[in-house]
Amino acid sequence: MKIEIETHRDGETAIVDYSYERREPNEKPMILDVLLQAQATTMPDLAFRYGCRARNCGVCTVDLNGKPRVACRARIREGDRISPVNTLPVLADLVVQRDGVARQMRDRLTGAAPGNDFNQDPPEDYHELTACIECYACLQGCPMHARNLAEGAENDPRDGYTYGSPFSLLKLQLLRLDPLSTEVSREQALEHAKALGLDTCKDCAGCKCGVGIDLMGKVVRQMLAAVGE
Amino acid sequence: MTIEVEWRDYDVIVVGSGGAGSMAARAAADDGARVLVVSKDPVGCSDTKISEGNATVRAVATDGDTEETLSENIRMAGGNLPVQSITDAFAKDSQSAFDLFRAQGLRPAIDHDRDGPKATPMAFGGHNHRRSVGLPNHGIAFAHAGWNAVVQGNGVDYLEDAWFLDLVTDEGDDGESRIVGGLIYHASAGTLIAVRAPAVVIAAGGLSTLFFPKTDTMRGNTGDSYAIAARAGADLVDMEQCQFLPFCIASPPSYEGLLVGEPASASYLGVLRDKNGKVILDSVYQRTRAECSAAIMRAVADGRGSPNGGAYLDMTGNKVLPRSGPYFMRYLETCLPAAYRNARQAFSKPVAKCEEPWEVRPSAHYHMGGLRADADGAAVKGQGDGDRALGIKGLFAAGQAMGGLFGANRLGSTSLTEVSVFGARAGRAATALARASTAKVDDAAFTPLIEATTARFGQVGTVAAATLKLELQQQAWDAIGPARTADGIAGIAGLFASLTERLDSVAIPGYATWNQSFIEFEELRNLLESGKAVAAAAGERDGSLGGHVRLDRGEISVFSTPYSTVVHRDENGGYVARRETRPRTPFKKLVSYKVKEDWRRLQSKWFRYLPASVKDRKLEARYQAIMGTPDGAAPEIEPGSDDAAIAEKKAA
Repeated sequence: MKIEIETHRDGETAIVDYSYERREPNEKPMILDVLLQAQATTMPDLAFRYGCRARNCGVCTVDLNGKPRVACRARIREGDRISPVNTLPVLADLVVQRDGVARQMRDRLTGAAPGNDFNQDPPEDYHELTACIECYACLQGCPMHARNLAEGAENDPRDGYTYGSPFSLLKLQLLRLDPLSTEVSREQALEHAKALGLDTCKDCAGCKCGVGIDLMGKVVRQMLAAVGE
Repeated sequence: MTIEVEWRDYDVIVVGSGGAGSMAARAAADDGARVLVVSKDPVGCSDTKISEGNATVRAVATDGDTEETLSENIRMAGGNLPVQSITDAFAKDSQSAFDLFRAQGLRPAIDHDRDGPKATPMAFGGHNHRRSVGLPNHGIAFAHAGWNAVVQGNGVDYLEDAWFLDLVTDEGDDGESRIVGGLIYHASAGTLIAVRAPAVVIAAGGLSTLFFPKTDTMRGNTGDSYAIAARAGADLVDMEQCQFLPFCIASPPSYEGLLVGEPASASYLGVLRDKNGKVILDSVYQRTRAECSAAIMRAVADGRGSPNGGAYLDMTGNKVLPRSGPYFMRYLETCLPAAYRNARQAFSKPVAKCEEPWEVRPSAHYHMGGLRADADGAAVKGQGDGDRALGIKGLFAAGQAMGGLFGANRLGSTSLTEVSVFGARAGRAATALARASTAKVDDAAFTPLIEATTARFGQVGTVAAATLKLELQQQAWDAIGPARTADGIAGIAGLFASLTERLDSVAIPGYATWNQSFIEFEELRNLLESGKAVAAAAGERDGSLGGHVRLDRGEISVFSTPYSTVVHRDENGGYVARRETRPRTPFKKLVSYKVKEDWRRLQSKWFRYLPASVKDRKLEARYQAIMGTPDGAAPEIEPGSDDAAIAEKKAA
């Protein structure tokens, strides 16, 4: 099976033709199977992230023919191309710098104070949102995140991105849904969403989640409604 | 080129950002420490995140579940190897430690009658009380809480894509070994960061990547915790105790090693068979994981294994009964949802529906051994349970990195409690130590490590570390994996020596930003250290006990004097093992425990020979007692379909 793997190393980009050997006659390999075999054979220094091989840890996302896929549980076919996700800066080969997305949430989160009564059931949506594995597939096509990458945008991902993404809104919406949050922290969560560029969502057709969470219905529209949009 | 070195100062460094690291960091910062979390994977992407998401919370379902009961339960299950002060701490803090996750947004279902988290319907493997709490979204729910604890700031700084390379120690004013900091490779920035800090909490997980197949435990489990501690001169305890989960996928390859079942999920009539259909283990649901793994590996060693190096878990007996059969399928699905999801994705339909046996094989999962520590996770040395004053001052461990809690066998659902109990304890103890520390640090103590590390960038060589890693994995499985012999354990020394020598022939380019070759090199170095420690301990343990299965020796009797193995690294890089005897559970208790266990087994054996119709009715009643009336069957998945490649089906 012929696969193209895009590599980036020390400033140089290349496309490597890799020939995947099926391990069973009818094997339908996942993207990660190809990367692991390449590393074990002809490309021992290939840089890529992976963790659990079972779509739980969220770190192995790559682009397959330009679309973000969780590599351990997405199939690959003859002639496909694997490249780093195109929404974050490349560090090496298929590894991108994810840090700027999470880091923008610094000083925007709170914990519940000790002494609170923890024995409260959250609304069902709360659990729907904690299904997020942080794969960052939702950055693709997101006009809010795109503002970070636009020409002239002043951003050092190491300090956290200026503009948000469906992921950061999801984290803030969790705070809003948490029965233990105070009214003040709910308000603050909404203010943070506005500061991260929630207004960008008004005219957006919708975001796409890598694990099937209804981001538009459960996060974005909820927040837009709360700010009266 | 020369890689740049940046200097920083903190009170406490926490290595690892999983459950233990995040709780350690939060506890330390809440006590006023300036904390740096160092994580090689993205923050929170850890074994806590990929876990089944069940935590042990004492007395959550029954009032009679005292601290003594839980503490003793852990020690007896662990073959009397666990240290009592540590199991006592676990039992004492299990409720408050669970609330540390709740303070960061973990929201379990509530049992309003008992005004507390709702317990799972059955006692988890090995527990003598029902005391586990499960979460929707499993470990991912815990990971959200841990992530929140770190990313929010409030006294915690963090680095991800950052490999903590080694501790720096010196001999303080009193001439005793103490921590002065550590060196970090920050891959995304392409720099080395030298951090001065009087206390370091190691919470960097286990060593499952020493083996393949492994479960879904993170790739990053390259033994960093143990290697870093051992190189600084610390003692490691019970290192031969690797937990292999027995029921993992043997084929197809994309799923190899992933968990599909536990002894309990095999339910009342599940048995293990060899390739000839002969029962090699009955009453599977009452067995420990180690017993099941041993039965499979013995069959494989005798040439009676399945085509992909395992055996068959046959649950068809549960399925065929007309009344109780439908309950069984529902039970299987609710008992271990993530594992059953793996089965449905990987197996053919008749197999996933338990109409045919499952081909399973053991897979590396959790490490019970670790840094020899006290109940605050502080490094100890010396006789018996050890003494902090003799250990390395300022060195702490938490979570899988720490030994002494589980000994020879870990009870189900305990590790998510372990991370918060000992994460918080280590974080607080490290802060107290840092606050009392006034001694000056001479930066010269960092020089040899910085020079040696810098010299690796641009190392001319002929071999890739990733290739050597695979060689090590393969031989480690055979020699110090789920089935061991004296010859195998002794024989791997040759490979260790040759790989250690070849470290200097690994090719490492000179560039600084995300140098994958350097990363692989460092991880290989840590895997090698851990492998040596496991082999030394395994050589000392001269019979089968818990996670240490010797094919050439029998089971160590529960009535013999228990001992832990303690290993340390000598100045030549070799590992030296010795024994520390442990107090045995009083004879009367052991006998009563044995009698009860034998009685339970006898009952379950006898049960299998009842007429089918009687069995069926009795089972139906048992299932109803556990989970009520079943509603809706588990969805069916066609292997090779989009449902089996879930990331594709739900892709953006």
